[in-house]
Amino acid sequence: MFGLDYSWLADPAYQQWLLTGVVNTLKLAALSSSAAIVIGMLGALGLTLRIFWLDALIELFVEVFRNTPPLLQMLFAYFTLSTLGLKVTDPSTGLSVPLLSAFACAAISLSLFGGALAIEAFRSGIETMPRSIIDAARSLGYGRWARFWRIEAPIATRICLPGLTNILTNLFKTTSQASVITVPELMYYAGQIYNDTFRTLEVMILVLLIYMVLVSILTFAMARLEAFMAFPGYGRGH
Amino acid sequence: MIAGSMLSYEGKKRTVLLLIALGVAVWIGVDAAAGGAAHWNRVLVRLPLLLTGSVSGWPITGGFALNVILSIASMALATALGTMMGLATLARFGPIRVPAFLLMNFLRNSPWLVLLFATLYFLPFEMHVFGTTIPFPPFVKAVIGLALPTAANFSEVIRGAVQSIHSGQWEAARSLGYGTGQIYRHVIMPQALRRMIPGWTNLYALLMIATALATVTGIQDVLTILNTLLAMENERVIVYFYLTILFLFIAYCYPIAAVARWRERAVKGESL
Repeated sequence: MFGLDYSWLADPAYQQWLLTGVVNTLKLAALSSSAAIVIGMLGALGLTLRIFWLDALIELFVEVFRNTPPLLQMLFAYFTLSTLGLKVTDPSTGLSVPLLSAFACAAISLSLFGGALAIEAFRSGIETMPRSIIDAARSLGYGRWARFWRIEAPIATRICLPGLTNILTNLFKTTSQASVITVPELMYYAGQIYNDTFRTLEVMILVLLIYMVLVSILTFAMARLEAFMAFPGYGRGH
Repeated sequence: MIAGSMLSYEGKKRTVLLLIALGVAVWIGVDAAAGGAAHWNRVLVRLPLLLTGSVSGWPITGGFALNVILSIASMALATALGTMMGLATLARFGPIRVPAFLLMNFLRNSPWLVLLFATLYFLPFEMHVFGTTIPFPPFVKAVIGLALPTAANFSEVIRGAVQSIHSGQWEAARSLGYGTGQIYRHVIMPQALRRMIPGWTNLYALLMIATALATVTGIQDVLTILNTLLAMENERVIVYFYLTILFLFIAYCYPIAAVARWRERAVKGESL
């Protein structure tokens, strides 16, 4: 069809590569997304405490990770963390080997990058919360914790969801950059396959399609979650 | 703590950030005295190469300057493409709107790196159109590859800005006998343009960050040069090189992102 040759796809070895690649991409995305959400929540909570030095530290963290390329962050983690002392001596060979694998380096730097974005998103979500709701809760006699768990957190979660969807899709797409530091995810195996078969065009089309499908599933799931969580009058829930 | 109590919250925060900057400076000084100076010297020797791609610093053949040029060229192309795509997704005529919408979603849902690779391999080495030969050097491919996702994101910015203008204005203009093109030109765009600026600026900062990916096309951008240089350096010096490049990106992108946020606050709450 259209002069495209997909006969290589019948080879079980390539099928295995693609499958491993997809699984590793999903693993990397799941790991860094959950870590990013945790970092985002901790950071945004930290900001609500209004402690000036904590505020300054969080702001610095966000700006550094937002304004540098994730690719550079990964390369930095991959090439320099072991130099900076994160290495162990392999007992069987006596050689000094890096403590963190390429996958771990990618997961850590993606978590921090996504975390910085998430802090921003959660912060703006908390900021847009109507002041009157907090006042109303206070006048009803809610204490600090009850107010947070029963009023602020549920509302902020709903306000933040659209922003979180953006960050998670962004992070998912960024996992493809881990191929540069030899993490065996989808993009890495794509390179392996077209180096083997010289079917560059066909492999790239297939990879684009796979990413499209995966990202679409993610956005669809998040849209469902938004619809499920929606409550009348706020955000997109009408 | 007397000085501290006189400062506002923002003032205290700024003081802490200043102290951190000072701490970093002191740390660099201490480290330099402890042998880091030799490492920094290696970086300093290579700095013109990293910035401009030539050892003497002139002419500009690559390096960070090439990233900047790449981002500007890409942004120009993305603005043109994104405007067309954005207006097409707003068209009432289905055969224009639906394909534009699908294309926009496809570009927005694909990873930047994969799109860049795709452009690199899809585009021919050169193209013959009406007897003239248009060459596609890697730089042009990088410009196109980065412009595609940026254009899709920009079309979203345009859509958002146009849709934020109250529909009553459309009706009023139509009742005065304006055509669709005229309404866009004289009524909607002058207002929407103002609201697009923060999104556009933000997108530019994102694009600049993404130019780091262009290293896969093989152009002599800052990362390609860095990788070539690092092959000749020892393990320790690599850390100093990476810190320098990270700093270059922050120094360029942070002010742009800050301007975007400032403009965003300026147009926030503006609705008519």
